[in-house]
Amino acid sequence: MHKNASPRNGFQQASDSLSESNPVQDKEVAHASRNGIEGIDRRDFIKRTGMAIAGLTAASTFLTSPRRGFAAGSKPVEITFSSAKFFGKETIAEVAEAFNSSQDKIHVTYKELPPPSSSTEVHQGLVQQLARRNGDPDVFTQDIIWIAEFAAAKWALPLDEYFNADVMKDYFPGVVQACTWEGKLTALPWFIDSGMLYYRKDLLDELGAKTPETWDELIDSAKKLTGSGKAKFGFLWQAKQAEVLVCDLVSFIGSNDGAILQPDGKTASVADDAAVAAVQLMHDLIKKDQVTPEDVLSWDEEPSRGPFTSGEAAFLRNWSYVWKISQSKDASSVVDKVGVAPLPHFEGKKSAACLGGYQYGVNASSKKKEAAIEFVRWMSSPETQLRFATQLGLCPTRAAVLDDPKIAQEQPFMQPLKSVFIGAIGRPVTPKYPQVTLVLQSAISTALTSGDVKTVLNGAAEKIRAIVKT
Amino acid sequence: MAGIESRVRVHRPPVFRAGALHLGPVMLLIPALASIGAISLYPVMLGLWLSLRDTSLASPTDTFIGFGNYIQLVTDSQFWGAWTHTMQFTFVSTLLETLIGLLIALVLCEQFRGRGLVRAAMLVPWAIPTVVTSRMFGWLFDGQNGIVNYLLRSTGIIHRNVDWYGSPDFALVTIIIADVWKTTPFMALLLLAGLQTIPESLSEASVIDGANAWQRLWHVRLPLLAPTLLIASMFRALDAFRIFDLVYVLTGGGPADSTEVLSTLTYKHLFSALQVGYGSSLSTMMFITEIAIAAGFSWFLLRKMKEVGQ
Repeated sequence: MHKNASPRNGFQQASDSLSESNPVQDKEVAHASRNGIEGIDRRDFIKRTGMAIAGLTAASTFLTSPRRGFAAGSKPVEITFSSAKFFGKETIAEVAEAFNSSQDKIHVTYKELPPPSSSTEVHQGLVQQLARRNGDPDVFTQDIIWIAEFAAAKWALPLDEYFNADVMKDYFPGVVQACTWEGKLTALPWFIDSGMLYYRKDLLDELGAKTPETWDELIDSAKKLTGSGKAKFGFLWQAKQAEVLVCDLVSFIGSNDGAILQPDGKTASVADDAAVAAVQLMHDLIKKDQVTPEDVLSWDEEPSRGPFTSGEAAFLRNWSYVWKISQSKDASSVVDKVGVAPLPHFEGKKSAACLGGYQYGVNASSKKKEAAIEFVRWMSSPETQLRFATQLGLCPTRAAVLDDPKIAQEQPFMQPLKSVFIGAIGRPVTPKYPQVTLVLQSAISTALTSGDVKTVLNGAAEKIRAIVKT
Repeated sequence: MAGIESRVRVHRPPVFRAGALHLGPVMLLIPALASIGAISLYPVMLGLWLSLRDTSLASPTDTFIGFGNYIQLVTDSQFWGAWTHTMQFTFVSTLLETLIGLLIALVLCEQFRGRGLVRAAMLVPWAIPTVVTSRMFGWLFDGQNGIVNYLLRSTGIIHRNVDWYGSPDFALVTIIIADVWKTTPFMALLLLAGLQTIPESLSEASVIDGANAWQRLWHVRLPLLAPTLLIASMFRALDAFRIFDLVYVLTGGGPADSTEVLSTLTYKHLFSALQVGYGSSLSTMMFITEIAIAAGFSWFLLRKMKEVGQ
């Protein structure tokens, strides 16, 4: 804190006091003052004249009254924030507004991008803005699969010096890993989502079966339920030639302890035995066991959700958003009959869910980095995460927040899923992910319709190798 | 202007007038030329230039690689698949739309009560945004609850539901049906306009000569309609070649790439994978194919025009 003695502007004083409990404070302050001189001071001559006074003032003054520094009355630092559109009882705009009114040093302008269901458009919008490298937006949110790409393009600011390992250990390790590219933390966790198994508790009870833990158990129960006419469909998932197919693929392959790409990001293992067996299972669910209708080949999330919440299906793989719908009396005929569990796995292996969710990033070209950092720190704080969980239904990435009793009350499905979220695994980590996923979508769709799994996967592995080697 | 004046002083008076006459029209053309250059020529040239580079928005690569992208393209089975699907789609949909459109135009050309209303009603499918059409056909041909399956089942034509969008055999057919429904009115409208330019007296003359309805159509109206027919189907074919929204909304190119067309493939490479270089070479190939289609039609058209002229 005493580093404040260096000439500084009013804003930095405020940011210090806002984040007084942070263990990386000193590091941050040192960095922030470096940046402040290039960025804010140049823009604000009046503040500069006050710097000498600012330097003499101890931070403790501000601890007691964080809103009333002598910078009060001067204009707040303007930053911009771009995010895909999420909403529940509150919108992101309202949360950003809450940040604005919680202090008067930083003013955030929220720029809304399309909803996450239009992921390609969100990606495109962000890339167009970031590729200009003009510092706008200062803060953005990114799908977990873009982190490597944005980091490799040097669009995302490395955050290690602001958030050290000590701070990061409060988050789920899987998410922190996904936010890290080549050893550098380039994203700050916001929320996670993962694929999970929805099942009909009532139907399984009638059958006297337990919640399936292996694929064989699931196929067995699904066959019995469709055979006796209790359910029209056994197990619904998504196989439309789109990103969702890769999400499903990750959980199938992961549940057999396989992988699409090895952790080095260079070795394609999608044609290895474990992966081939997993894709064969996907094919067999449709063609051999026939517990999955062929229609899934053109279904993404919503078409597969419909039959489940209208009571026609026994099992469904989908994201956490389905829970809210399945428990709403207007939209669902299976209220109170639905259970949620980790996705099944191969005999003797572990369940694997596909990790999803959006994370914060700071624009590496931002001219107001300290303000941006301050904003993401607030956005990722336990209080704000709790707010996102209860108001928008977005699952916290901080273990402690997920245990909060308020969440049990507002979003009862979240806490039982803690094990799913912790065990969730990422999609292949490579800056070339957008190219890799196109190859996978085409290949898996072909494998599922033709049944020639091994040949198709060999071809895909070949293509992926060519993409990631450069 | 200073340049003009200095030139003016060097030349003798008679040339002064000629020079002014010469420059005037050029000056007037400049705004049009500049806007065509900025809107049309520059993007095309930039596209060509980018197609010779390995530019990618997501990585720092941006070097000149000559025909590298094109070499990769001709060995890319996905590209040839998309090319074939696009040609199939273009050929079948244009053919069907022209034939059905002609039938509708012939009917709407006749005098009958309520003709104005029918003409207006016919245009409705064409006026609906394609994305809405796509959603609508998504429901009509839904594999489980779609009305098409229901009708086919209840009339005994099929015994179990057809998975229209999930099967590589049917997905493209379904998309063609949707496109025919949507765009036939456009063809009908163009052909109706063409039919109305054919002088009534010619038909009347042929009736007097003893021609029946079929002969009247085949020997009098169709030959005279041929240029319109060709122009209309050329427009349609060039437009159909760019098919994007139906595929994008209904199938995303799947299953098993069976509905992947050039526009969707180019979109994926350009905007999802951000491979600007490779994507540009794809769109250049589209451009070349479109020029070939246009040239083919133009050749026929010129021949027809000559025949009609004689």
